[in-house]
Amino acid sequence: MVAAVARRPRTEQFRLANGLEVLLAPDPASPTCSVWVWYRVGSKNEWPGVTGASHWVEHMLFLGSPRFKKGEIDRAVIEVGGTLNAFTDNDFTAYFTTVPREQLAIPLTIEADRMTRALIAPKEVQRERTIIRSEREGNENWPEFRTDEELFAVAFRRHPYRWDALGYPEDIRALTPEALAAYYHRFYGTRNAVLVVAGGFEPAKLRAEVRRRFAGLPRTGEDPRVTTVEPPQVGERRSTLSGPGTTPFVDIGWRAPAVSDPATPATILLDVVLGGETRLFAAGSIWGRSPEHPSSRLYRRLVDTGLAVRATSEWRPRVHPALFTVHAQAARGVPLERVETAVLEEVERLARSGPTAGEIADARVKIGRAAVLSYEGATRTGFRLGYFAMLGPPGFEARLLRRVLKVTAREVRAAAAATFRDAGRTVVRYTPTGGSADA
Amino acid sequence: MRSDSDPQVVRSVTRPDGLEIARQAAPVGAASFAATYVAPSGWAYDPSGRSGTALVASSVAASGAGSRDRVALARFLDQYGATLSRRVDPETTEYTVWGPQSAFEPLLGLLADVVLRPRFDPSDLARVRRQTFERQLREYAQPASRADKALLEAIYPSGHPYRATGLGTRAGVARLGRADLVRFHRTHTTSDGALLVVTGRPSLESTVRSVGRAFGRFPTEQAPTPPRVPPPRTPEPRPISLPMPGRSQVEIRVGAATIARGDPRYPAAFLANEVLGGSLLSRLFQKVREESGLAYHASSELESMRWGGYWVAHAGTGPERLAPARRQVESEVQRIRSSLVPPRELDRIRRSVIGEIPLAFETTQGAHEIGVDVAYHHLGPTFVKEWPAVLRALSSSDLRAAASESIGAGGLVTVLAGPLSPPV
Repeated sequence: MVAAVARRPRTEQFRLANGLEVLLAPDPASPTCSVWVWYRVGSKNEWPGVTGASHWVEHMLFLGSPRFKKGEIDRAVIEVGGTLNAFTDNDFTAYFTTVPREQLAIPLTIEADRMTRALIAPKEVQRERTIIRSEREGNENWPEFRTDEELFAVAFRRHPYRWDALGYPEDIRALTPEALAAYYHRFYGTRNAVLVVAGGFEPAKLRAEVRRRFAGLPRTGEDPRVTTVEPPQVGERRSTLSGPGTTPFVDIGWRAPAVSDPATPATILLDVVLGGETRLFAAGSIWGRSPEHPSSRLYRRLVDTGLAVRATSEWRPRVHPALFTVHAQAARGVPLERVETAVLEEVERLARSGPTAGEIADARVKIGRAAVLSYEGATRTGFRLGYFAMLGPPGFEARLLRRVLKVTAREVRAAAAATFRDAGRTVVRYTPTGGSADA
Repeated sequence: MRSDSDPQVVRSVTRPDGLEIARQAAPVGAASFAATYVAPSGWAYDPSGRSGTALVASSVAASGAGSRDRVALARFLDQYGATLSRRVDPETTEYTVWGPQSAFEPLLGLLADVVLRPRFDPSDLARVRRQTFERQLREYAQPASRADKALLEAIYPSGHPYRATGLGTRAGVARLGRADLVRFHRTHTTSDGALLVVTGRPSLESTVRSVGRAFGRFPTEQAPTPPRVPPPRTPEPRPISLPMPGRSQVEIRVGAATIARGDPRYPAAFLANEVLGGSLLSRLFQKVREESGLAYHASSELESMRWGGYWVAHAGTGPERLAPARRQVESEVQRIRSSLVPPRELDRIRRSVIGEIPLAFETTQGAHEIGVDVAYHHLGPTFVKEWPAVLRALSSSDLRAAASESIGAGGLVTVLAGPLSPPV
C-alpha cells in the first residue's frame, strides 16, 4: 500500500470572536508570503435574476474600499512586485495576493478593509458590466464552455448548480447596483470567511497582527448553506447544441455525490481509473502536467482506437451533489454516435465488472505519489489549505487521502454502479456548423 | 547565500561534444527538481513539404522511449509523482522532467531515453497525427488563434522561421511517416547547439557526472545549420479583417516584428512593453479595461528570441465595442513609441518588475523556467542578480528610443477576428 506521505506544512488554526477562521502556515525560509481569503459564497447562493452576482462582487472588491480607492489595490500590490487575483466557483470565492515577505502588511490591510466594507459604487458597477459581459463573451467563443453550461442547465432543474458562476447574460445586463450591494452585504463577512497566510513570517507576530486588523470587524455574513435539494433524476435527458467549430464532441454527466459523501474516496479512484486525472491530489502545478493518460480506460477505448482525439472524465468535488462528467471529442470522420456508444459501454463495463487489482494499485500509487509534492511555495500552499477548508472540516485533506489510499476494487465498482445509471444521465452533443462561414 | 545554493545563479559548462550543461539550485525547502533538454529542433527546421514535423516528432518521442511504451512510461512517472512535458517553438524543442529530488537519477535516465532512444511507435504516430489534425482545425476555428496566425503571416514573408505556428498543414502532417520522424529527431537531437538545464540539489560537477552517466554520447554531435532568416515584411497599412460569424467576441491584435533577445536595446524594449501592456498597472489594462470598460483582457507581450522576435498588443471585446477598443489599443501603441514615459510611471513599473523577482523563485518550476531562459540566451550566471541594476539605469528616453525602434518601426499590423458586426 502507498503511504500517505503528503508533505503538508505545519499549520496553526484559530477562530476570532467574529467568526473569522484563520489558518497560518509558516515557512521561515520562504522569501514570499501569500494571503488568501476564501468565502463560502459562490454561485450556489444566487437565484434567478441575480445569477453572476458572486463573480461580479469578486470584480468589485478590487474597485474601492474605505482605505483603497479604485485602482489603489492593484497599485499597492504590484508596485512592490506582488501578484494578486481572485476566482469564483459554484461553492466559494477566493482572493489571493502574494508579495515579498517584508510586504505582508499590504495584503492584510487590503483584506481587512474589503471584507465587510467594499464600496460597490454604482458608477463602478455600471462600468464593470461591460467587462463582465466581455469576460463571458470570451468564454462563449469556446464550444466547450457553451456545452458545459448546457449540461448543468439540463441536468439540474432546481439547484443553483444549474447556472455557471459567470451568470446568465440577461442577468449581467439587468442586475442593478443596489441588488449587487445587497448581495454583498448579505453574504460577505467574517462568519463566512477563511483567512489563510502561508510563507515567510513569524507566527506569534502574525497572530497578533491578524487579531489587530480583523478582530474589530463586525460579525456578519448570512448562513450560506443551500437548502434547495435537486429532485432525483428519473430518466435520461438530452440536448444538442450547434454552432461554429470544426470538431463534434459529447459531454455526458451523471448525478454524483457531494464531497462529504462516504462514496467520495471511491469516486476519486473511479475518476482516475476512467480518465486518469488525479485532480485534488495532482502533482505540482498545471504546468507540465500531460493531458494524456494512456493507461486510463477512456483513453484506451477511444483515443487508442482512433474513435476520439480526446477523452477525459471529471468528478469535481462540490459541497452539494453534482455531476461526474465525461468529455469525448470525435476524431475526424467518426460519427458522434459511435463515440457516445463507446463511452457508455466503457462506463457500463466498469459498473458491471469493476476495475482490476492492477488498476487500483496503479491509481493509488498515482494519487499517493502526486500528493507528495503538492505543497511547494507559499502561493500553492495558501491555495491548497484554503481549498480544502472550503470542502471539509479541519484535517479533511489528510483523512480523505488516507481513505483514498485504502479504497478497494469492490468499492470502486459499487461507486461506478451507483453513478452510471441510465436514469441519472444527461447527454449534450455539440455539432459544429463547419468552417464554411470562416473560409 | 552561497552561490551554489542560490537559485538566482545559473552556472554552466560546455562538454567537449558541445553540450552545454547549466545548473541552478532549487529554492530553499523545495523537495522537487526539474531538468530540461533544449534541442535545436524547432519548427523552423521542418523539412520542405513536411510542415508540422517538429511538433509531431516531439509528441511521438515523449510517448514512449527506451524499454517503455506509452503505458509503461506513464506508469513510471506516476511511481514518482513526476511529470514529463515538452514545448516546441520556432527555434527549439524542449523536454522537461519534474519530480522529487529523491528520484533525480531515475528521472534523468527517463529524460535521456526520450532524447536519445525514442521508440517512435507507429501507433503513437497515428494517434498524434489525428490529434494534430484536430488542433489544426481548431486553430482555424478560434478567433484568438486565427488572429495570431494572421498576424504572423502579415509580419513575416514566406520562408521566415517565425511565420508559422508549428502545427503545419494537413497535407504536411499526413505525409509524415515514421522514417521522417526518426531522421528529423536524429539530425536535430544533438549535443552541439543543445542545452541541458537542471534545477536541483546536486552541484554543477555532480550534475555533469549524472548527465554523463544518463546520456553518454550523442549519436549526432553536430548542430544543424540554422535556417535562413529573411527580413520581415513591410506590412500593409490597412487592417486584416477576418469575419467569423456566430462567435461572441472579436480578438484584436496590433503587432510587428521586433528585436532579438540579444539586442542591446532589449532591456529598454522589455520595460517599454511592461509600461504598455505587461501588467495590471499597464496602460492598456488601465485605459481599455479599467477606465473605459471596453474589454476583459487588454495586454501586450514582447516575444524576443535568438533570430528576432515579434511584439503584439491584444484585446478581446464584443462587436459593438470593437471600434473604440481598437482605437484605444492603436493609440496606446503609438503613444509608447512617440512620447516619453513620465518618471513616476516609469518608476512604478520598474519597482514592480524588480520586486516580483522573488515570486518567480517560489517553486522549482518557476525558478527553472528562468534558468532555462538564462542558459538558452547565454545571459550569464548572475544575470538575475544584475537585472535590477540594468533596469534602474534606464531612462524615459531609453524607453522611447527602444519602443520607436523595436515596436513597429517598419509599420504596424492590425488584425480583427470574430463577429465583426453585432448580431441582428
